[in-house]
Parts: sequence; structure tokens; C-alpha cells
Amino acid sequence: MNSAQSSSGGPPSGLASLLAGLRQAELVVTTSAFVVLAVVIFADVVMRRVTGSGLVWAREIGVLANVVLTIIGIGLASADGTHLRPRLLDHIFPDSWDAALTRVQELLTALAFAALAWIAVSVVLETIELDDRSVVLRWVLWPVQACLPLAFAVAALRHGIYAWRISLRPRERGEGDVA
Amino acid sequence: MSDSLLLLAIVLGLLALRQYILVVLAAVVAYVYVVWGDGRIENLILDAWDALSSDVLLPIPLYMLAGAVMAEGAIAGRLIRVMRALAGPIPGGLAVATCLSCGLFAAIVGSSTVTLLAVGTIMYPALLQAGYSKSFSIGLICAGATLGIIIPPSIPLILYGVMTSTSIADLFLAGVGPGLLLLALFALYSVAVNWRRRTGSWNLTELLDSLREGLWAMLMPVVILGGIYSGVFTATESAAVAVVYALFVELLIYRKLDLRGLLRVTGETTRLLGGLFPVLMMALALNKFLTFEQIPGRIVALLSGVLDSPGEFILATNLLLLVVGCLMDIGSAILILAPILQPVAEAQGMDPVHFGIMMTVNLEIGYLTPPMGLNLIVAMTAFRENFWFICRSVLPFIALMLVGLAVVALWPPLSLFLLKN
Repeated sequence: MNSAQSSSGGPPSGLASLLAGLRQAELVVTTSAFVVLAVVIFADVVMRRVTGSGLVWAREIGVLANVVLTIIGIGLASADGTHLRPRLLDHIFPDSWDAALTRVQELLTALAFAALAWIAVSVVLETIELDDRSVVLRWVLWPVQACLPLAFAVAALRHGIYAWRISLRPRERGEGDVA
Repeated sequence: MSDSLLLLAIVLGLLALRQYILVVLAAVVAYVYVVWGDGRIENLILDAWDALSSDVLLPIPLYMLAGAVMAEGAIAGRLIRVMRALAGPIPGGLAVATCLSCGLFAAIVGSSTVTLLAVGTIMYPALLQAGYSKSFSIGLICAGATLGIIIPPSIPLILYGVMTSTSIADLFLAGVGPGLLLLALFALYSVAVNWRRRTGSWNLTELLDSLREGLWAMLMPVVILGGIYSGVFTATESAAVAVVYALFVELLIYRKLDLRGLLRVTGETTRLLGGLFPVLMMALALNKFLTFEQIPGRIVALLSGVLDSPGEFILATNLLLLVVGCLMDIGSAILILAPILQPVAEAQGMDPVHFGIMMTVNLEIGYLTPPMGLNLIVAMTAFRENFWFICRSVLPFIALMLVGLAVVALWPPLSLFLLKN
């Protein structure tokens, strides 16, 4: 469900638009990364079968595309309520506390993502300082690594907005269907 | 000891406050680094980054996309038609056709809930109409849908391979025997319970027609497993081939998917990955810390003094996993427990591939056990039945799966016979 569409109690349209815009941007980036990942790995297989030697850089590009896909995907999972959540202790508090608990849940999640973003910034700064590069193509790694603090910060913002305007929060999907 | 208790309290507190498993794991990893590690919290992100930068993760998004593309089209109906033409005329034939459809569809799309919905939507009314009991029909569909977890390609098997550095190709090959065993158990039970129910006789024209329509979809597992078994592809390469094959079948052969549909499917897959991969990233970071601190080795030493035989270990592990399967989804359970239990299993003389298969078959039962059984919850919504009625309906199938689990656990050749060395 698009978070912007989940509005039922007339939340500020600016916030809904912001969330929808973020989601759309994340969708474009992740879909592009998915295409790159599939194309380079398949091209590697084809080249190996046709010419006898694969594309030496294919795995590296595939890994970088997968990193972008995964990290930016965090925001999409937040936008659509697909983060995995164990529900075994869901019923220890009275049902009447549900609304308050949901706010606390979102606020805590926002704080956790903000903390992760803060830590990730220092890691990226260290990578820039050390001039870390990929093994095969020798590309500088920090632009891809910078997706980490960016994605965590966006997730913090998103969950913060959910805590503030609960009506913008997407409905949670079923627990972790990975198979 | 007080540090451990504080960690446990933090975990329970976060779970009570309904935190995502990503947040819980991140808190655990940060805590262990600060309290038991070198105190440098940046290692949390550095180790997560290292984990994510590994090419062993590449098959997961690709297999998920291939499965989603295949599920988007009309293959469920085509496969069911083939299976009905094949199995319909034998006693309990419609139920057997349901089992086979679930097994094959789940193998292609790799999702238990998608299988339940796709096959169940067609076969549940058909079974009721043919006079099968409601309880049997729901139980069969819920149980049959779990088969995709063990029949390759399987995301839980990839997760196990990633977390324990076990060959994913070997795990796929090892999943074939147990998958077929469970399928056979469900089919035999269906025949035994519905011995008097037959629907029509074999019709060669219908069989050939349905095969012609469904063949392309049915060939997908053959291409993947054949490619891996013959050594043509690695697991990652077979995943890329699976995506291209799925696109070829859905865009050019069946023509049920257009570009807009493809974008929607890719977005849906990305959302699921966005939920799964960050958890995997944190679990791998935790695993790295545990390995660095030689925790699995200490657990092995500790348990070796307690467990007298491999049999005791198998029994204890399976009881633990059955409880965990009731409380946690299979992905999280594998991410957290596989790196801890696998070294103990190896110390007890178990093959890591065999242990992975046993663990996966065990956790597969968790899809059918309350309170967290995902298939129970989905079936309750999809078929509009009472939750406890569905829980009772799956009981005979849980018993069959426990029999299957016992065979898998005690007879390693069932899992390992396809492995070359």
C-alpha cells in the first residue's frame, strides 16, 4: 500500500506528498539496480558459454547494484509495511493501548534508524579518508556506501512522520514470507 | 552474567514494544560490540557493509524476482490443468492433483503464501464441489503450499548457505529427496483418506493439450536444477538464468505480463527484499562477531559435555526448532540459529548440508503451527474460515510432516544422494 494513499483522517497533504515522492524515487532507483544486477550476471553467463571467458567485472557490478537495491529497499519496506516483525509479544499489553503503542513503536524505530544513520556517516567519512576502492574496477566505494546513511536517515524521517501522523502509516503485511 | 541478562531484557523490551527484527538485531549487535567487543560501535555498520558486499547474496533477489514474474502470469491454472489430467482419475485424484500442483507451483515461484493463494483459489472450491471435506481440503492446501521451502530453488536454503558458508548448489540438490518424500506422504495420505473418490477417466487429448500449455512453466525447475547438477551454472548464474527464462516464458510465450506488470512485480520484490536483506545484513554482522569471539566453538564444547550422542543432539535440536518455528518466521530463525547450531551439528558428525535440510524441513512445519503459522493466517483470510478450525484441519498433515522430518533427520542419504562427493 502506498503510504500516501493510507491517509484516512485528512493528514497534511504536504507530508503525504513528501512520502509518496520519496517512495517513487526509491522505486526508480531500486528497479534500475535490479535491472543492472540481472543483466550483468546473465551477460556473464552468456559470455562464458559463448567466448569461454566471462566478464571479470560482472560480479563486482552485480554486488554494487545489490547493495544499492538492498539499502534503498529499506525505505520501500518502511513505506509498504514489509519489514519483518516477530509478533510473539504483541498481546502482553491490553488492546486499549494499541494506538499509543503504535506511536511508541514508530518513534523507537525512527530513533533507531537515526542512530544507524549517525554511525553510518562516520563509516563513510572513514572510507573517503582511506580512499577505499573496489577490487576489480578500482571505483571509489564511498558514493555507494553513502546510500547507507541516506537510507537510514530517510527511514528515520519516514517512521518519525508515522509516529506523528499515524494515519499515514501503512498497514503491516504478514510476518516474513521469504518462501 | 548481568550483561547477558541486560541484553535479554533489552531484546524482550524491544519485542514487547513491537520493534522490527532489524531494529532488535541492530541493538543486539551494537550491544555486543560495545560490551564484549572492542567498544567501537562503527563495527556494526562496517561488518554489515562487508556482509552486504558479498556475492553469495546475489541469488536471493534474482530467484525472488524470477518467482514473482512466474507467479504474475497464469501458470497456476496451467499447472493445475496438467496435474488434474494426470492424477484426476486415480482414487483421491483431485487431492493428489492439488498436492502435485502445490509442489510444482511452489518450486517455480518459491513462495508459500503465493502458492496457497494461487492454487487454493482454484482447487479449494473444486475439492469441495467434488465432495472432499472442508477440513481435509484446507489442511491439504495449507500443507502443500509449504513444499516450496524445501523444493529448490528455495530462499531459506540460500539463507542457510549464506549464514553457514555451505554450498547453495549442494543444498538445492539435497532438497530434492526430502521435498519428494513430503510430496509422496501428502499424496499417499490423500489417496488413503479418499479411496472411494474418483473423477472421470484418463483423457490422452486433454493430457497432451494441458502439457503443451503448461510445459514451459514446468521446465523451469528442470532448467535450474539441471544446470546446477550438470555443472553448467553456479547458484548465482542459475538465478540469473531463471530470471531471463521467466521473462521469456511470461513475456513471449504466455504473454500474460507486460512492461507495466513487470515494473509492478519488480517493485513488489524490492519491497520484500527491503524487509529481508537488512535483517540478513545485521545477522551476518552478528555472526561475524560470534565467529571472531569463537562463540560457536565454545557452544560446541559446552554442548559436547551435555549431549551423549548425535541422536540426542538431533532430538534436542528438532524440539528446539519446532518451538522456534511456532514463534518466529523461517527466515529470521535461520538467520539467528543456523550459525550457532551448525557447528554443533558438525561436531556431532552431521553433514552441514544434511543439517541444513533437516533444519529447513523442521521450520517448514512452523508455517502450520499457531500462533504464528503464516499459512494458517493467510488461509483464514483467503477462505474465510475460523482460525482454530484451520489449526485442527492441518493436524494430520503436521503429523505427516513430523514423520517426514524423522526420516530426513535419521536417514542422511535421502538428502545427500544427488551430491557428487
